[in-house]
Amino acid sequence: MLMGYMEGLGLVFQFGTLLAIAGGTFLGIIMGVLPGLTSAMAIALLLPVTFGMPPVMGIGMLLGTLCGAGASGSIPAILLNIPGTPSSVATTFDGFPMAQKGEAGRALGLAIVASFLGGVASMVVLSLLAPPIAEFALRFGAAEYFSLSVFGLVIIASVAGKSLLKGLIAGLIGFFCSTIGTDPIAGVDRFTFGQLSLLTGINLLPALIGLFAVSQVLKDAFDYDPSNKLQNSPHKVDIARPRFLETLRNWRALLVGIVSGSVVGPVPGAGGSIASLVAYDQARRFSKTPEKFGKGHGAGVVSVESANNALLGGALIPTLALGIPGEAATAVLLGGLMIQGVTPGPMLFENQGGIIYGIFLAYLVANFFMLIIMCLGIKLFVRVLLVPRKQLISAIIVFCFIGVYGVDGDVFNLYIMLAFGLLGYFLNRYGFGTAPVILGLILGPIAESNLRRGLQVFGGDWSPFFTRPISVTFLVIAFGLLVLTLWQNYRSRQKEANSAAT
Amino acid sequence: MESGLSSLLSVSIDFETSHLFFPKVINWLMAGLFVLILVTKVAPFMAAVKRGERTLPIVGEARDNFRFFGTLALIAAYFYLMAVVGNMFPYTGYGFLIVSIVFLFLMSLLYLHDWRKKTITILVINAIVAPSLAWFILAKLFTITLP
Repeated sequence: MLMGYMEGLGLVFQFGTLLAIAGGTFLGIIMGVLPGLTSAMAIALLLPVTFGMPPVMGIGMLLGTLCGAGASGSIPAILLNIPGTPSSVATTFDGFPMAQKGEAGRALGLAIVASFLGGVASMVVLSLLAPPIAEFALRFGAAEYFSLSVFGLVIIASVAGKSLLKGLIAGLIGFFCSTIGTDPIAGVDRFTFGQLSLLTGINLLPALIGLFAVSQVLKDAFDYDPSNKLQNSPHKVDIARPRFLETLRNWRALLVGIVSGSVVGPVPGAGGSIASLVAYDQARRFSKTPEKFGKGHGAGVVSVESANNALLGGALIPTLALGIPGEAATAVLLGGLMIQGVTPGPMLFENQGGIIYGIFLAYLVANFFMLIIMCLGIKLFVRVLLVPRKQLISAIIVFCFIGVYGVDGDVFNLYIMLAFGLLGYFLNRYGFGTAPVILGLILGPIAESNLRRGLQVFGGDWSPFFTRPISVTFLVIAFGLLVLTLWQNYRSRQKEANSAAT
Repeated sequence: MESGLSSLLSVSIDFETSHLFFPKVINWLMAGLFVLILVTKVAPFMAAVKRGERTLPIVGEARDNFRFFGTLALIAAYFYLMAVVGNMFPYTGYGFLIVSIVFLFLMSLLYLHDWRKKTITILVINAIVAPSLAWFILAKLFTITLP
């Protein structure tokens, strides 16, 4: 392991790699500031730039984006009461009141340091937990992988869509799309309609960019309201000084944030908004002065922001160790890893140890860059919000185009991107969610080839899928989760009916 | 030989159709869920539409049709023309540059509200500068293939 870190150190501490990480962090921060542009989209748009880079450099850049976008949602949340990302919704609870009291600089300083400490702590958790999990996963056979992919799909379906049913349908759409192209076992074409470009299946990148970026552009085009103009923040903040001591003085909130982020992070599909709300709630409960929360209390900001960034490291655990992403941004990152020729999963730790430790270290470095860039560039990032939306829309389309075309110069992929953009727009609009589709596309081939290989190995007998201990555990948890989600939906509906009746 | 429990526990897949096995499973699952959603969500919704409480999606919605379909048409035209123009100047990325400038300009016009000289000038400058910068960085510095 020490050797791995030494090798990783050599890969990360090169001028080009550090520059790429800093650049990724910078772009991530800008994307995080803009409401509606998520870290998933930021990574999808940056993917093409990373093609020519060596793996650690390219992935470091994407991790920087993830890290920057995770932290910078707090800037508009504190200054303008507009959460830049879904996970900074809870930052507005205390951050904006602080700004109103004239403490905007202090709130930003706390948010930045809390994000930084949360990110560093989650990197430690990641580096400690991912290798043993990957080692455990080496025991997996065909049956286990099949069950694991079913498990992953059920989890994301149960949290991503507005209802379990819709989430499952979205996931199955992804599974179905993954069957287009050449069959993995018999080598026959399926559903290609004579299109040569479809023989290799639907490429992940156009699907990703279509689902996350193009669908958002269409939504913006649809909901465009010219009267909705953002006002510049009345709070003048030129530079945000990091407030390490004050953040550490709020150690309870910090610890609560880190723990909730790290626990929620690895749960596939849970996402940042859940982690930050859980952290805020728990921090208030553990606080000695719970009545101050919501009125501009520093501890509130610290808990939320540390949870936001602690989540990212947690979400990377299943992504790297099992090849199953925790949420949308890591799903896109997984696509990026595969394009770099790094196939996440247990074998990664066996074969490419240097790269994996390089990734851990790159994530750590990204957190440092995030701290520095956020502190120095506050003024610039607030101004980003004033860029007119219409110019952004068309510029994003141009970047989507470059991203997809840049891979292999195939125009057909552009139409695939547009088709997925439309699909994503309608899926989002009717509460199906787009994350399950992407996960279905990634997990589909794993599920299919392992199901068929398993059936071949067991001579057509499907009972081993339910009798092998690890496999059955995944299926039981997946089934339990289905039941739990249905039960929760039922309960909340009853509650609604009760409150409507009274 | 195949009787009772053992036939229940095993499946046999014909090699000729083995490539359709997984898609078939998925399609049946999807069909099942589709029926479920028809019964649980769509049927009550349609009843509400009939009573006049809700309106049909897409058809019955107020929407800026010109902008929505204009955006879609522009994007499709952008992709198509890129390849056409790009073939006139192969391997230079000029196709991207020229078509992007036109595309950015038209998209901005589509969303423009105050038709003053000043705003249009800003649009034109933006439409020329942004793609040129992207073209220079990506095609020249990162040597990414552009049409």
